Amino acid sequence: MKNQKFSKAHYDYLKKHRTIKALVLITQIAMLVVFLLGWELLSKHEIISSFFFSSPSRIAKTIGELYKSGELFYHTKITLNETLIGFAIATGVGFLVAYVLWYSNFLRRVSEPYLVVLNSLPKIALGPIIIIWFGAGDKAIIFMCILIVIIVTILNTLNSFTSCDNQLISLGRSLGASKNQIFFKLVLPHSLKDIISTLKVNVGLSFIGSIMGEMLVSKAGLGYLLTYGKQVANMHLVMTATVILCVLAALMYFAVALFEKIMKKHLK
Amino acid sequence: MSIVEVENLSLNYQSIKDETSAINNVNFKIEQQEFVSIVGPSGCGKTTILSLIAGLIKPTTGKVVVANKKPSPKENLCGYMFQRDNLLPWRNIEKNIFLGLEIKKQLTKEKKEYAIKLAEKYGIKDFLKKYPNELSGGMRQRVALIRTLALKPELLLLDEPFSALDYQTRLNLCDDIFNIIKGENKTAILVTHDIQEAISMSDKIIVLTKRPAEIKSVHNLDFDKTLTPFERRNSSKAKKLFSTIWQEIQDEKSKI
Repeated sequence: MKNQKFSKAHYDYLKKHRTIKALVLITQIAMLVVFLLGWELLSKHEIISSFFFSSPSRIAKTIGELYKSGELFYHTKITLNETLIGFAIATGVGFLVAYVLWYSNFLRRVSEPYLVVLNSLPKIALGPIIIIWFGAGDKAIIFMCILIVIIVTILNTLNSFTSCDNQLISLGRSLGASKNQIFFKLVLPHSLKDIISTLKVNVGLSFIGSIMGEMLVSKAGLGYLLTYGKQVANMHLVMTATVILCVLAALMYFAVALFEKIMKKHLK
Repeated sequence: MSIVEVENLSLNYQSIKDETSAINNVNFKIEQQEFVSIVGPSGCGKTTILSLIAGLIKPTTGKVVVANKKPSPKENLCGYMFQRDNLLPWRNIEKNIFLGLEIKKQLTKEKKEYAIKLAEKYGIKDFLKKYPNELSGGMRQRVALIRTLALKPELLLLDEPFSALDYQTRLNLCDDIFNIIKGENKTAILVTHDIQEAISMSDKIIVLTKRPAEIKSVHNLDFDKTLTPFERRNSSKAKKLFSTIWQEIQDEKSKI
């Protein structure tokens, strides 16, 4: 198959494919540049209020100041830590619970109404209780993060596990597979796609949890910077914290995407 | 000595509202290397009988004996082949063939070699490293049979294995599967709604009544052993038998 000569049509096709790919990338970059440039200029000439909207140059300056004072990495690290710990615990325990509930029909039926209620409960309403229980520190924040992520993880994963094709399970049974074998050889690989999309959702939810927790507890972290900036009416700081959060979220998303790629390669 | 003995077999399905009798007092015996088909009106409980023989469900009364043992999926008594091939899309063909061995923890060099030899013998050699989505429907069903045979079952249970295929593939695969089963000297039970298919492959055809299933009639077939299923289909004997069985099932359907 290699070193094969292709027709002209094939090379034209490849060329067209590359052109479109480049065009998408150029447009994406252009959009960002136009957005930043427009923001900067509009704010510089006070067409939009530089106090309310800040500007890219002021945000860059604020980042520089935060970097010099060491606060940039201090707050980023705290938020990232809480998010990662919350994400890991909630995802891990969530999968484990989903597995147990898949295994036992009895437990699944018993827990169903509880899960549904917990899922619809707005977790932030538990904020005061959590702070009283865990104190106003990172423990409370991580717990908030876990609460937000874990229920969705359990429901999504369990749903994926139970939707495994019945015929596939019959095949496993006819081969004499134990319930665990059916899970690990048939159900789990079958659900891998859903599991990865759950991970992607969880990244976003973990950030919601940690930022929300920080806003409640307000001691350190990017959520703290947001609240503090708001209180002293420093929009540059608020915008800066938001931009850093965007970057962090993008980085974590790429990490999951990389994990997805590795898993797919591993399976093939 | 019969390899399968079904005695006074009955099964009732339980639900909150009702109890339905699915199978009522069925008796038959199957000899070593016999090919037996079970036909009957749709929904009469053909597949249920296979599940009972495989030991996947327990009978309400009566018993099934396969090779002097009580059937259980833990043992290598029965190999089950489904309507769909159920190949795992994330495993290549070789790994799909090894699935049964893996589950039974018998992934020895010797058993692997046996499975590979079967694959080579029946034309799957070139596909071993490919993935199921790269194979045609007929080829996939052939892989499913090899996966079943790799465990060396005493008895093959075929649950409408051709019904998901197009007509052309179906007739070809019918010949292929027949040859593989005869070539490996296996005993087989085929459940099908296709009377012609049953006639083309079987030594014996069991016709069931409508639900609750009882045995309506048993036909012993005496075709020339050298004929392929395809050749059998076109014989005048097959046509005559077809109209007999057709009428029997038709009578059942019209019963209230």
